[in-house]
Amino acid sequence: MSLDVLSRQTDAGVTVLAPSGRLDVAGAPMLKEAIGEAVKNGQPRLVIDMEGVSFVDSTGLGSVIAALKLVRSSKGDLRLAAPNQQVRVVLELTTLDRVFPYFATVDEALSGF
Amino acid sequence: MKRSLASDPDRLDVQAFEFHATLTGLDDGLDTLHRSVELLRTQTGKPSDDRNLILFETALAEIGSNVLIYTGKHGTSGPPVEYDLRVEANTATASFTDKGPPIHNQLTRAMPAATSEAGRGLAIARKVLDELGYKREGEVNTWRLVKRL
Repeated sequence: MSLDVLSRQTDAGVTVLAPSGRLDVAGAPMLKEAIGEAVKNGQPRLVIDMEGVSFVDSTGLGSVIAALKLVRSSKGDLRLAAPNQQVRVVLELTTLDRVFPYFATVDEALSGF
Repeated sequence: MKRSLASDPDRLDVQAFEFHATLTGLDDGLDTLHRSVELLRTQTGKPSDDRNLILFETALAEIGSNVLIYTGKHGTSGPPVEYDLRVEANTATASFTDKGPPIHNQLTRAMPAATSEAGRGLAIARKVLDELGYKREGEVNTWRLVKRL
């Protein structure tokens, strides 16, 4: 199963990336590529819409951490939205929920961003 | 591939489930691992948010991807990885057997810092499983994962 990533820009200039599939060792490079593309132009504000992500592994998490570092080094920021139960469990297990306070929906993540 | 479920319909818990596959590449191998858990979930009626099964599947994918990568199975030919999943008396036991290179000093890895981009896989597996074992006998690696469901 490969990972597809849709990208869109909101009127407020926030990039919403919506990966679909498994964000794992096989799929993580696709998200990394999409994030790199989104960061190219200026100060990125990114929301990763996790609704379509069925499963995440440690490599997938690593790609999100890399994204966070990248956007912050460009004076931007990143928010996670709509993770499923498995993603939330893994964030909690790794204590990354403290690094990525996630939002229940994309609209909530976009609010005030 | 073989799978079976106990025939006693009055017993709601997982009583017996068997799955076997030879994994032949990273993408296909991971597909097979997730499919085996989905079969288990479907046949036992466990909900998609069942925490113990989520934890088991998470550990299974971490160890499975490590095994597939270490045996050089990125879509190329190589020694096969034999995968078995059994559930008996509500306890899931998975094993991976391969003839890849031996694994050294990884089972004791601690969870890395929050900003680290790698190195969490085995730490996650060890944290969520009731038992995680690895042994090298001759040229053969065997991983054993056990989780009460």
